[in-house]
Amino acid sequence: MSSIAPTPRLGLPATIIGLAVGLVLTAIGVIFGFIQGVAVQTIILSAIATLGAFVWAWRYVLGQFIGDGPPPADGEIGEGRKVWLQFRPALYGLIAILLVFLALSLTIESFFNIWNVISLLILLTIIVLTRTLGRQFQENRSGFIGVMVLSGLFSIGAMNIEGFASANNIKSMLLFASFLGIASIGQTLVALLGGLDLSIPFIIGAANVGLLYLIGLGVPPWLATILVLLIGATLGVINGFLSYRLQGQALIVTLGTGFAISGGVQIITSIGSAYSGNVFGTVPPWLSNLAAMNGSTFGLPVPPVIVIWLAIVVILIVGMRYTVYGRYLYALGVNRTSAKRIMISEPVYWVMMYAVSGFFAAMAGSLLLGWSGGGFIGVGDPYLFLTLAAVVVGGTSLLGGQGGYGFTVIGVLVLQVLSSFLIGIGLEFEWQQFIFGLLILPMVALYARSPHIRTQI
Amino acid sequence: MNMVAAPVVAEADPAQGGRGNPFLLVPITLFFLLLGLAVLRSPNLMSSNGIGSAIIVATPLILATYALMAVVIAGRGTVDLSVGPLIGFLNVTLIQLHGAGIIENPFAVFGYAIFVGALYQFVFALIVIYVRVQPIIVSLSGYLALTGMNLVILPRPGGVAPQWMSEWGLGTSIFSPVLLILVLATAAWLLFTRSAFYTHLRLMGSDERAAYTSGVPIYVVRIGAHLISGAFSGLAAITFTALISSGDPSQGTTYTLIAVTALVLGGASLAGGRGGVFGSFLGASNLYLITFVLATFNFGAVQSFVTNLAYGTILVVSLLLTLIIPFIQRHIRNFSPVLYFVALSVVALGVILHATNDYQDRAPATEVTQPAALGPIAPEALYVAPLEVASPTPDEAALREAAAPIVLSLLLLVVLAVFVRIAISQADRRSIAPAVIFVVAALVLLGAYLISHDGAPADTPAVEEGQ
Repeated sequence: MSSIAPTPRLGLPATIIGLAVGLVLTAIGVIFGFIQGVAVQTIILSAIATLGAFVWAWRYVLGQFIGDGPPPADGEIGEGRKVWLQFRPALYGLIAILLVFLALSLTIESFFNIWNVISLLILLTIIVLTRTLGRQFQENRSGFIGVMVLSGLFSIGAMNIEGFASANNIKSMLLFASFLGIASIGQTLVALLGGLDLSIPFIIGAANVGLLYLIGLGVPPWLATILVLLIGATLGVINGFLSYRLQGQALIVTLGTGFAISGGVQIITSIGSAYSGNVFGTVPPWLSNLAAMNGSTFGLPVPPVIVIWLAIVVILIVGMRYTVYGRYLYALGVNRTSAKRIMISEPVYWVMMYAVSGFFAAMAGSLLLGWSGGGFIGVGDPYLFLTLAAVVVGGTSLLGGQGGYGFTVIGVLVLQVLSSFLIGIGLEFEWQQFIFGLLILPMVALYARSPHIRTQI
Repeated sequence: MNMVAAPVVAEADPAQGGRGNPFLLVPITLFFLLLGLAVLRSPNLMSSNGIGSAIIVATPLILATYALMAVVIAGRGTVDLSVGPLIGFLNVTLIQLHGAGIIENPFAVFGYAIFVGALYQFVFALIVIYVRVQPIIVSLSGYLALTGMNLVILPRPGGVAPQWMSEWGLGTSIFSPVLLILVLATAAWLLFTRSAFYTHLRLMGSDERAAYTSGVPIYVVRIGAHLISGAFSGLAAITFTALISSGDPSQGTTYTLIAVTALVLGGASLAGGRGGVFGSFLGASNLYLITFVLATFNFGAVQSFVTNLAYGTILVVSLLLTLIIPFIQRHIRNFSPVLYFVALSVVALGVILHATNDYQDRAPATEVTQPAALGPIAPEALYVAPLEVASPTPDEAALREAAAPIVLSLLLLVVLAVFVRIAISQADRRSIAPAVIFVVAALVLLGAYLISHDGAPADTPAVEEGQ
């Protein structure tokens, strides 16, 4: 945070509103404190802290606004009205959340405890901070918002759920996050070009079944794994060619190849087998160790897949930032015509990115085989839209040129922590999906609104 | 670039609406290929039972494709991924509301499904317009939310549809209410294409900025497109409920994928501005026929895998075929899909006649087998009678025998007149159309000769025209 104008000067109405809201909040805190039977000293201390923090935040928020705009010389509209106009959407959001909270606490008996109040405060803080501080990060706004949401979710989870912040739970969250993360690598890269890859889940499923089938045939496991990864990359190459030739139809092309791949692999694996669709075989111990919860990396009690994922993350982020390949990728995504003018070959990048996507999808499929120990074609199905969701929540634009794998990592972690949290408070899978769906929209709306059409002409 | 230029070419003749669309070449060809194959594999398809059940099964799919089409035309890449879950949502809520005894009579069911479908799409449109998030993200969000919601409302397949509705799903005759819904929906869209609103819609889909600067009220147009889509989703949900006679929360995903596939197979552009009811119909029918043809080969346990493989391959290949359309367009400038359709349908008619008549022992055999198939449809004989080989009394048969040549030759005269008229009006253009007309006319004559020669029943052409 750079230092802005010396003390921002607030108008009288704004100060009064701030004080009033702060007092109300403090009063609520005090009442809750007495209801919960907390010691009086604590109540007084927290009341003072609440009031102070709120008044400071209020001044700070409005200060940002004053620093940005012209000096408040035009006396036509009042200070409060101006604030109202400026922050109208955010204030609507705040009011809505407060109302929901009120409704929930009136209807559900045990909802009315100190932890939920603190969670509410954290939620409000996130919203206020994203609206204010987010302005400072024009470039990496989505990343900032993602980190805020992530830390907010994590702290809420840690407070409300027993064992949420335990090493075991964090390990398992990271494990699942690394599957999703590896599966979303391709989606991110392809989205940077302005394409989509919906064949990822089908390749995951096909790799999962195909690897076990190859092992069952008697191919040495290491060779089989390499074969599967290569086949995945080859399928990606085909995808890349087709989607490059059929510009703008990537969604449907990759869906088509996905259908074909999953059908084809299943036909191959079920020829001569009495149990069609089910493949039996033994997963080699090293593969299980790679992806199992109790796996160990060089003696450390961390599943190796997490380490692998971290390594890929570092390589990808550094590579996309500093190598010529990475910069060309962004150049193509932002403006393909000018990229062509500086001799960047478009088809090569399309084919390359889709090949990488196929490769990592096959890798995710193989690792999932190690995790589950049995082949199942439908193992990739949840990833159909989840990879897309991770990319979008992270803040990579589906139109190309904006974002990066670092953002997707944040997106993956947000989705994973959220789903863990929802499981923790006892929601079923379907409710999780419902909440995922409802959450994607406001998160994207916070940073990826396209400009009004009249500004595009 | 070619892909971008093509819709503009198609736009050249506004009076034709979407019908002068060269992208229909692939779906039409595929349709007749599959139809011919299906009939050869299983002549049973061309009976009242066969067509009836085909309509029942294919209609939800066709209507879902229409629903997707309406929003895809609106542009901005509005591929509504949530169309399947929306149909599922309407299905499970209908079942649950019926189970609770709230919705009973047909009007309430139709009103509910169409209203809720339109309401959802209305909210969708408002979000796209005012929050200005990419439509595909909104639809992704809707997809996840609705899929979860469906499972909450009805955790596993079950429930009972209203009595009057489950009777539709038997598929024993061609003229079921489901066909009526399909025809009405298609007719409604065709009527809609005559309006200025539709022109605005296509303009907005092709180039939103141009539409905005030429004063098209783009917000209103977008909302309108979504409302139409919602209404189609409602109808699709009703026919889907009639098909399975119960509730199924998990069909949503499949319907989304299949509807997108069908739409693209029908020659629509996911980028917007191009697409029509004819192409969507063909695309969805093609998917149905693929499944049908594959079902006639007995693949045993790998059946569904083969179907998947075929879906994917045909989809990709037909997409690749659209790449050669600009080349074709350079040589055949005024390609007329209608003409092409007619030409191919004559060929297909020949195949159908061959398949239905030649394998069975000519005239006596047809008279013996077909009345047997007639058994279960006795109640509706009133509607079906004109198209069926009933069991005629001797003098009726004699009358029919005498009338058949006259009717046939009348039909033939009409067809020939139309062809001659087209051939003459097209004669001064440098195009392939007159030649096509000539060939088609010759084929019709040949078909007529064959029919009269064989003494085959005259009802088969009528059945063909009936669909």
